[in-house]
Amino acid sequence: MNLIVNGSEVEIVSPPLTPLLHVLRDELDITGPKAGCQQGGCGTCTVLIDGEPRRSCLTAVAAVDGASITTIEGVGQAEELSAVQAAFYKHYAAQCGFCTPGMVLAATALIERKGGPVERDEVLEALGGHYCRCTGYVKIIDAVMAASRGEVDSVDDLPVPEPGQPEVLPKGSPA
Amino acid sequence: MAKHHGRGFATIEYPTGMNQNGDPSQAWIKLKPDGRVDVFSGTVDIGQGSKTVHTQIVADALGVPYDWVTMDNTNTDSSAVCTGTFASRGTFIGGNAVRLAAEKVRERILDIASKELEIDPSDLDIEDGEVIARGAPQKKINVADVAGAATYNYGELISGSSTALKPFADVDDATGQVEIEPHSAISYAACVADVEVDDETGEVVVQKLVQVYDVGRAINPTLVEGQIEGGAIMGLGLGLLENSYPYYPSVKHRGGQFGAYLAPALRDMPEIDNVIIENPSADGPFGAKAIGEMANNAQPPAIANAIFDAVGVWLTEMPATPDRVLEALAAKREPTRDGKRVVFDEHLSLKAVSANQGEGFFGVEA
Ligand code: FES
Ligand code: FES
Repeated sequence: MNLIVNGSEVEIVSPPLTPLLHVLRDELDITGPKAGCQQGGCGTCTVLIDGEPRRSCLTAVAAVDGASITTIEGVGQAEELSAVQAAFYKHYAAQCGFCTPGMVLAATALIERKGGPVERDEVLEALGGHYCRCTGYVKIIDAVMAASRGEVDSVDDLPVPEPGQPEVLPKGSPA
Repeated sequence: MAKHHGRGFATIEYPTGMNQNGDPSQAWIKLKPDGRVDVFSGTVDIGQGSKTVHTQIVADALGVPYDWVTMDNTNTDSSAVCTGTFASRGTFIGGNAVRLAAEKVRERILDIASKELEIDPSDLDIEDGEVIARGAPQKKINVADVAGAATYNYGELISGSSTALKPFADVDDATGQVEIEPHSAISYAACVADVEVDDETGEVVVQKLVQVYDVGRAINPTLVEGQIEGGAIMGLGLGLLENSYPYYPSVKHRGGQFGAYLAPALRDMPEIDNVIIENPSADGPFGAKAIGEMANNAQPPAIANAIFDAVGVWLTEMPATPDRVLEALAAKREPTRDGKRVVFDEHLSLKAVSANQGEGFFGVEA
């Protein structure tokens, strides 16, 4: 089986009925999709399959053979956050961050689909199946609406990783 | 059969930290030769933002820019001891630890700057990374130069450590009693809930929640607002949807499937309004108190009161599920005791529907 994950084609060796979530996390080491409930109930494992938000915990990898998968790692870059990511950053829409990858992907798909400003009710509908246990719904709704209206300035004060560094570290981190 | 509207409120006071003997949080801060600041503390940020807030506290206490400060709080080898992120102690106790350590570092910076500038330390201030002579702002030295001088000229590693701790109290041998000071800081809050109750289905919808929180000092207003909003929605969950299982892991005290345990989702969101009151505490860092745990406590009783206002029944057990509301409404319509109909009376009915038959409950005289 093959998948196009965040733009690169990869061959998959996991058994065909392995949930896409585990293929991404365990075989490909892409840990943006989170394993929350693994029953389809929380939304943290959401990825975009051919542009549509889907629960990767309930998707057998064989069912999406050849599809194009976008995880949070494929949305924006540390140097240039996507509009939705920048809006989440500016609006403090992440607390612990566990729900954030799923929320951002579902919001990205919603804004893409709508192609313009989204209403509060559309956000409630599109993100209704995503739990935020922290629970930052107020700021998440604000962020998604602001992103859809193009109201968010780009973020340029984020630390950028050195080549080969695994993750973005806070400024001046001793690690 | 109709929808009824009601409004209820609840107030709460809540202590900060464990308020027991001990309960330490420690911090250690060192200044690198370029003036940048490394903080080692053990307070874990679980999303409430303590890492940001502690960084702000250190930056403010030292007088250096926020992004000069690096908080290393997740390394269990290098970090100082913190009793934990619980009991609303992060900002107050953990924050005090980093503040006190930063004050010691500040003193050392001023001492060395005073040698370099030949001005008494008591006449110096640190602002935005520069040590400035009070009243003579042209006389100044950058904190980075002070740190460099400390390292290369004076052979000193500028550092400071501190512990925020409630000292152990003596046990009175005669009585076995322990005298401990009262809580270091008490936070106060109120919540107002507007609900709509459907007397046919028993469904309760929370339409609006207003939170008023005395936080002492909002070190980071957006983050504290995030805690208040998050707590409000958690409180809504406790009021309407979520069971608690106090005897978990007893088999009778656990939820079923993930999907059967309801927690608030976006569609349950009421209109939310928050008011942050700053009523500084004498002991907190920059006057801050703590609201971590209290943030979800006032909503369930406010919702219960609003339901009473709407349909005149007291729910004495949360969450206010449709079943419980309908049961209470039925009991109000036709109060029974030992299977006999009894005459309805507003006050007596409180007893009839309460869980313990009114024993010592509302103190209503029969
Ligand atoms: S992990 Fe897939 S929906 Fe919860
Ligand atoms: S930010 Fe913690 S679950 Fe949403």
